[in-house]
Amino acid sequence: MGKEPKSPEQKEYDQLQKKHEKKRPILRNCIVAFFVGGTICLIGQAISFFYIYFFNFTEQTAGNPTVATMIFIAMLLTGFGVYDRIGQFAGAGSAVPITGFGNAVISSAIEHRTEGFVLGVGGNMFKLAGSVILFGVFSAFVVAIIKTIIIQWFLGGF
Amino acid sequence: MKKYWIYIIGVCFIIIQLSGCSTVNRNENSLLSQTDPEPIAVKDEDIEKVKKIKDTVLSFDEIYETAVVLGKEDCLVAIKVHHLKRFRMKAIEKKLKKKLKEQFPKDKFTVSSDYKIFLESVRLKNRVEQENWSEEQKEKRLQEIIKLSQEQT
Repeated sequence: MGKEPKSPEQKEYDQLQKKHEKKRPILRNCIVAFFVGGTICLIGQAISFFYIYFFNFTEQTAGNPTVATMIFIAMLLTGFGVYDRIGQFAGAGSAVPITGFGNAVISSAIEHRTEGFVLGVGGNMFKLAGSVILFGVFSAFVVAIIKTIIIQWFLGGF
Repeated sequence: MKKYWIYIIGVCFIIIQLSGCSTVNRNENSLLSQTDPEPIAVKDEDIEKVKKIKDTVLSFDEIYETAVVLGKEDCLVAIKVHHLKRFRMKAIEKKLKKKLKEQFPKDKFTVSSDYKIFLESVRLKNRVEQENWSEEQKEKRLQEIIKLSQEQT
């Protein structure tokens, strides 16, 4: 189907489309994503230090409550409709940090509420979590294999 | 829409500002500033030895600040490593531990680059100075910090 060469009309249409297509501001998107993502991480760092300073957490163990707090904040912001605006403005800058995960969870919960609590909210809330778990586990597996190979072969044993 | 941004930026600004003011004691602000804490020893006669340990630790170029607590058998060394050298943190810790073991074979060293351990060592030092702690109290707190440093996620 797709293997046939394009007809002259199709080529003409492609050119027409190219002429009218809006150019994506890639550089601007990258810079905005960098700064907004960085700001989110700065807030996360501040929360992490808060837990280290006032509670009995070390740098190693402070990660868990920090992540939980960041997700909680993102959920509140999503519920109030603020996070959508940040997402429109910053793109990947708001989706890549852990807050993007919280946003995806809560927004699908809001979206599917009309379908009922069990099949709607319960079934759709963790739709994204499935892909996070799958690709997270798989990439961790690949990284661990690469690390093991490097340590075993190039650095001579553990 | 515009108003939201002003609120968000304002809240962030206030949080950052407040996190700077939150410290009561200047010495406790070892996160943002260099405090160079004096080393402490549980037993008073060990004070010369603990100073030697501190000099050994600071002889490493990568380390710019250290808090040393010498107990009866254990010794806790909390270090701060230069930012760009933090990639090799594990290797530096290992090297430091090896060198300390060679120079002071009798003690059991715990080396940690964790900020929390450094902070708790500085707090211990302050409280020892202010409240005149006994040897048992110092040793007990030291053991608590060592236990904390071994905690995993």
